[in-house]
Amino acid sequence: MAVAAPTTTPTIPRPVLDHIHPEPTGFIRKYIFSIDHKIIAFQYFITAGLFFIIAGLLAEMIRIDLLKHTGVLTPNVYNQVYSVHGSMMVWLVIIPFVSGAFGNFVMPLQIGARDVAFPWLNLAAFWMFPPAGLILLASFAFGAPDAGWTEYPPISLQAPFGTSMWCIAIFLIGISSTLTGINFLVTIFKMRAPGMTFTRMPLFVWASAATAGLNMVATTALAAALLALFLERQFGVPFYNPTKGGSPILWQHMFWFYSHPAVYIMILPAFGIISEVLPTFSRKPIFGYKMIAFSSVAIALLGFMVWAHHMFTSGMAPWLQLPFMIITMLIAIPTGIKIFSWMATLWGGSIEFSAACLFALGFLITFTLGGVTGFFLAAVPADLHEHGTYFVVGHIHYVLYGGSVFGIYAGLYYWWPKMTGRMMNERLGQWHAWITFVAFNCTFLPMHWLGLLGMPRRVAMYDPEFEGWNIVVSVCSFFLAASTLLIMGNMLWSFKNGKKAGPNPWGARTLEWMISSPPPYYNFKTVPAVLAAPYDFGNPLPYIGLDAEPGAMEATPQSTTGLVHAH
Amino acid sequence: MTTAAVEHGHGHGDGPDHDDGHEEVIYQETRDMRLLGFVLFLCSDVVLFSAFIFAYLYLRGTIDEWPPILNGHQLPRLDLPFAEFNSIVLFGSGVTMHHALENWKHGKVGRFDFFMGFTIVLGVMFLCGQGYEYSHAAIGGWSGSIFGASFFTLTGMHGFHVFCGVAYLAILWWQTKKGHYDQTHYFGLTAGTLYWHFVDVIWVALFFLFYIF
Amino acid sequence: MDLAVIERSVALIGAIIVGVFASIALKEDWHAEGLDNNTTKLLLGLMAFGCIMVFFAAIGVIGPKG
Repeated sequence: MAVAAPTTTPTIPRPVLDHIHPEPTGFIRKYIFSIDHKIIAFQYFITAGLFFIIAGLLAEMIRIDLLKHTGVLTPNVYNQVYSVHGSMMVWLVIIPFVSGAFGNFVMPLQIGARDVAFPWLNLAAFWMFPPAGLILLASFAFGAPDAGWTEYPPISLQAPFGTSMWCIAIFLIGISSTLTGINFLVTIFKMRAPGMTFTRMPLFVWASAATAGLNMVATTALAAALLALFLERQFGVPFYNPTKGGSPILWQHMFWFYSHPAVYIMILPAFGIISEVLPTFSRKPIFGYKMIAFSSVAIALLGFMVWAHHMFTSGMAPWLQLPFMIITMLIAIPTGIKIFSWMATLWGGSIEFSAACLFALGFLITFTLGGVTGFFLAAVPADLHEHGTYFVVGHIHYVLYGGSVFGIYAGLYYWWPKMTGRMMNERLGQWHAWITFVAFNCTFLPMHWLGLLGMPRRVAMYDPEFEGWNIVVSVCSFFLAASTLLIMGNMLWSFKNGKKAGPNPWGARTLEWMISSPPPYYNFKTVPAVLAAPYDFGNPLPYIGLDAEPGAMEATPQSTTGLVHAH
Repeated sequence: MTTAAVEHGHGHGDGPDHDDGHEEVIYQETRDMRLLGFVLFLCSDVVLFSAFIFAYLYLRGTIDEWPPILNGHQLPRLDLPFAEFNSIVLFGSGVTMHHALENWKHGKVGRFDFFMGFTIVLGVMFLCGQGYEYSHAAIGGWSGSIFGASFFTLTGMHGFHVFCGVAYLAILWWQTKKGHYDQTHYFGLTAGTLYWHFVDVIWVALFFLFYIF
Repeated sequence: MDLAVIERSVALIGAIIVGVFASIALKEDWHAEGLDNNTTKLLLGLMAFGCIMVFFAAIGVIGPKG
């Protein structure tokens, strides 16, 4: 393995796609219709952030209704509120945040690329996103979808026109996701810096690749389901209506074949963010790099094989229950490997409890809890009792809020200096983390026993015996909602008072930290060559040729070991 | 793994007159990226058809008799002989497209023109054939039964893909007339050929599923 | 003559011609490398299989009963 030390400075392999396009001019080309992945990422952040606030307000409407067991909203309105809340959070908030926003900003920088593979496609994919959201919100004027984000027929067949608008909106955002998935996969396969083999990629890039694959393959299945629903609603074409030979269970199969991989689309990038944040704030190499990398791929693949665990009570063929139960339980293995690897990364490290790190630690607790309740749900006999109850609502929010949103917050605190060139207020961020963690658990933990006691989900009014805990949940949810203001205020504060950030405020080792904050429009003046995976704290940086004068970074014998001459 | 070229000497400082080989390598890299992107797009399109095929097979599996019974009478099967004819029209267009591309690669523009035109004509013939099939299929219409639902939706989606393909090939042909491509730079033609073959293969599946099975 | 018989005959002859040409193209490109050539080989092969199916349908070996 040891290579004889060269006597001369090794040649830095010149990456082929190293030409720099001229800088865009004019406000429109620079900020509105930009092909720069960093600007597009900002656009995703802002749009998804706005939708997060709206969907969060819808959630608070749900909690206000549930303060009283007789309800506050009329059931018809209530049904529309939770349906749009769920649809927005999945398709207009979480997926755009983790994939469109973080994926766009961070991934190309981490592989040493100047942009994604198809920048114009990136622009087109983004600009489908706001219209899709507006169409969904406009559906309130036409009778918003009211059968949950899952829109099961026959209810979804009989609902007013707003449900058809929902079909159109989600179809549109689905096209955006598919195109982004293709774009990111090609970027990761073809545009890595010289020397960056797959096992030298940062773990967020592994996560982005697995997510992109899921995006690309699964979303078209949803498109088919939506198209069929739309055709049946508008033109009477029978797919799901049993009186005309259709089957409601067919919808469930088609819908969940996408929507289960969708939850992995939502969580895998968050896993990637945690894998970046924890080593940096433990000053330690990530434990089990290859295990974490390959487990992302395993989760993506297994994620295609478990969809019917959402259908144990649907009346589908009973023999399907056992195989789906077992494969669902198997997914706990690669997931558990990640959790243990992250814990081992922290162990013995010199931990800095920054805001990003606090959210990552909170993630470890809340996501694990969510995974445990998921395991309960995977067991068919338990699921028969828990399905359609608040137990499921508790589970999904532990993995989606305690998982994805905590990951998003961690990523925001971590990469904010890189994106904006400003530091956020650390103290305020730490308060945000603690308040969110406490408020989150107080809000969603009681839902588990509410569900086990028998409170169904998606009901505007409920049995009086559940009212006590519902009041607790609602009050705590107000604190949780209010805590969002802390990070919003922090962002505004940073623009006014935040210290100017240097290239690497956290002392991290991935490539995005090797250039200025914010990066110039061309990212890297010289695309560096990569000698090793980035997590080896304590060893010299594994890069040659970083934005330096030729020859300024002399390669030492140690760092030339493993240099792969690309050909 | 990027296939970055190792330059002779250092990476910087090569003047433009020494960059010709580099420009070709840039094109090759860009072409490879576009090719991968296009093939991935075709994969996602396969999933679209697969989902509807699943729906067809699932619905068909819920009843004992196929074709299903509508208004007390069993629906007739589709016109297999005509479909055999129309299928050969489409498969033939696949072969002619392949030859068109091969001739282009070898610089035989005249023969390329012939085969390209032949392909487009066959594609249009197929679409006309589908129009004839639609007007003669007595299976209760699009919304009458799950037979019509699955047949017209699937073949309709396929026909839409063929229509887009014919338009795409026509545009590509026009681009060759404008000198957009040469014998080394012809990615558009490659993509068009792959798309056309894809549309062909989807029809193989649909022909089997609706006319044979 | 019966329209169906004409359609079947044309399809039969066409299947043989197209199938043969597809097989020749496949044979010529067998050793070509690259994503585009490999994809083409796969798709041409499947299309040739389609021709075989049409051939057997035209002579009545496969197809719905009756």
